[in-house]
Amino acid sequence: MPRRSQRRAARREAIFAWTLVAPVILWLGATLVYPLVSSLALSVENVRIIGSAGRFVGLDNYLSILSASAFWLALARSVVWVVGNAVVQTVLAMAAALILEQTFPGVRVARTWIVVTWIVPTIVIVIVWRWLLSTSGGMINPLLIGLGVINEPVGFFSTATSAMTSLVLINSWRWFPFIAVMLLAGLQRIPADLYEAAAIDGASRFARFRRITLPLLEPALFVLTVIGTLLSFNVFDIVWLITGGGPADATTTLPILIYRTAFKGYRLSEAAAMSVVAMLLLMGLAMLAVRTLAPREEGG
Amino acid sequence: MLRRSLLTAGALALALLASGLAQADPVQIRLWHMEQPPQRVARVQQLIDEFNKANPDIVVKQEPQNWGEVYAKAPAAIAAGNAPDILFAIPDFTTVIKGLGALESVKDFTDKLDKQHHFIPATLRPYAYDGGVWAVPLYNMAISMWYRKSVFAKAGLTPPQTWSDWKKDAETLTKAGLYGAGLPANKHLYTDQTVYAVLVNDDAAELFNDDGSLRFNNPKTVEAYSFYKDIYKFSAPDATNWTWGEAEACFDSGKCGTVLQFTVISTYNAQGGDPADLGVVAVPHADGLKDSNTISYSNAAMILAKDPAKRQAAEKFISFILEPANYGRFLNMEPGLFLPATEDGAKAESFWSDPLAVKYKAQIETMIANSQHGMLFGFTKDKVMSSIGAISAQNIIAETLQRIVAGGAAPADAVAAGQKEMEAAAK
Repeated sequence: MPRRSQRRAARREAIFAWTLVAPVILWLGATLVYPLVSSLALSVENVRIIGSAGRFVGLDNYLSILSASAFWLALARSVVWVVGNAVVQTVLAMAAALILEQTFPGVRVARTWIVVTWIVPTIVIVIVWRWLLSTSGGMINPLLIGLGVINEPVGFFSTATSAMTSLVLINSWRWFPFIAVMLLAGLQRIPADLYEAAAIDGASRFARFRRITLPLLEPALFVLTVIGTLLSFNVFDIVWLITGGGPADATTTLPILIYRTAFKGYRLSEAAAMSVVAMLLLMGLAMLAVRTLAPREEGG
Repeated sequence: MLRRSLLTAGALALALLASGLAQADPVQIRLWHMEQPPQRVARVQQLIDEFNKANPDIVVKQEPQNWGEVYAKAPAAIAAGNAPDILFAIPDFTTVIKGLGALESVKDFTDKLDKQHHFIPATLRPYAYDGGVWAVPLYNMAISMWYRKSVFAKAGLTPPQTWSDWKKDAETLTKAGLYGAGLPANKHLYTDQTVYAVLVNDDAAELFNDDGSLRFNNPKTVEAYSFYKDIYKFSAPDATNWTWGEAEACFDSGKCGTVLQFTVISTYNAQGGDPADLGVVAVPHADGLKDSNTISYSNAAMILAKDPAKRQAAEKFISFILEPANYGRFLNMEPGLFLPATEDGAKAESFWSDPLAVKYKAQIETMIANSQHGMLFGFTKDKVMSSIGAISAQNIIAETLQRIVAGGAAPADAVAAGQKEMEAAAK
């Protein structure tokens, strides 16, 4: 084929490719890039109430938030929240996936129904858990008293530690089935003959889990760690609806602080600056995870 | 010639048609309110339908919102030129909208309505400042203390009038296996309200000095918080997470000896409670004082419409609502909660004829009497500081309490920190 025709064909192909991806690019531009640019612009102004005018203040908002202890405390609580959720969810999900990988009567039903907590709307989960943990008619306190675990009703959201712990457990209860299903898919891809060979060689159950299951699940665990961290960090609804960031700010994570600053404190530009910092932190974290945690290509 | 005549006739016909269409075009009024429960929306719709039928030149349409979002949504709608024509409000929300320059005084209109219906002063006061009136009072809500007469009788108690009585009653009821004082400590508007109900009963109602500076950090405020801390010991352990619903559930389930609430009538009645056993009194006052006060929320309607025809139509609709024949039905969209803002409304047959109002007449009369002594933080003077919107929205009054009961801070330190937060919010 002459070079000219080759170039023409390549151009046609490029135009076709751009035509295919253009809607996605436009969509992302409208829903992602525009809000991001708007946030950046807002963060260097001094807008207080949404819709009101502001003037350019440079990096004042960034200096203000970075010098405020409230921002760093909220960030620290976000770290506790993310790590707590990651640990609890991974342990629960791994256990659930290992159980669901077995063959027993009703396993198909169990594999389907495990996702129920994941598909139930957040507000329903909040109402259910607030009621269960309530001291006025809730079931958990009488149950724990009946079992002799506690002597009198306790407030699960009344102290800093118990509030954060309760929230982590509720959020993990909601999300671990999603991770379990992903891990189950990973488990089912591990060839059975690897386990058989290891068993013949005398490897214990734990050794098989450590030497076969975990390494071969590494790609799935990596993806779940990165996505889970990003998703957990940004969780707002459950925390806001259950504790509102209390008691005494003990569960005020960064998303809660951003919301409060924008819509309760009427400092929209400061909230935008916090959002930009949070976005940069998450991007940095994701890049770090890709560099350090990503499974290495074999023979690479 | 014929052609010109035809053209002229055609143009005339079009002009007539256009003017006819213009005349037929009713004035559209968009009403935003935050009374979302279905029965309230249905009652408002019923009144709108009656109004629209009686006024074919006006079409009112309701668009229910929720309080959680409207603080952000309304300013955005105003900025986008898509504001509703009537927007329901509580006093601090009005300062936010006024701060955006979206309000014109409705003093002439409220003066006219006052002559007709006589506003209860406590309902108009929070909207009358800076030389104008910024919203039309529609209904009032005031915190009272609720208890069961049989429980008090069994424990040998009488309803408390002073803080000493309250503490003694709470101790006795707690020993009897109840939560003696159902009080919240959440960082939430409900806690702002109960704390302020205690503050106003210790001469600590004022947040601001006359010059606009904050006076939250003063000995009376510290004393009131100390008392709240003492009596909070007799509340439920999960009260750091309570909103109105949890407190009501505690009372309805019989676990709370007393609660501070706007009302418990609706749920109490739904659970088959005996009206004769439901007691309500004013919030107890500090021992040195003579009378009780309370916090009251006068809810009102702001007119955002700029177009004179729309403003006139909005005023006509609000006048229709405040007519005694309609007003009681409007208030009874939630019977036993919304109290009259006008004197003739408080006597209206349409208000007292509701089956629940008949059943709980004694309690509602006490609620109305309590509401006459209502105050609201930041709205106790002729001048209102615009910062009260941010102070209220951030629940700093409640947060101060949380520092004490959940964070372990001394009341004096927590109040000092609260004042600092208020000052930061006011910047």
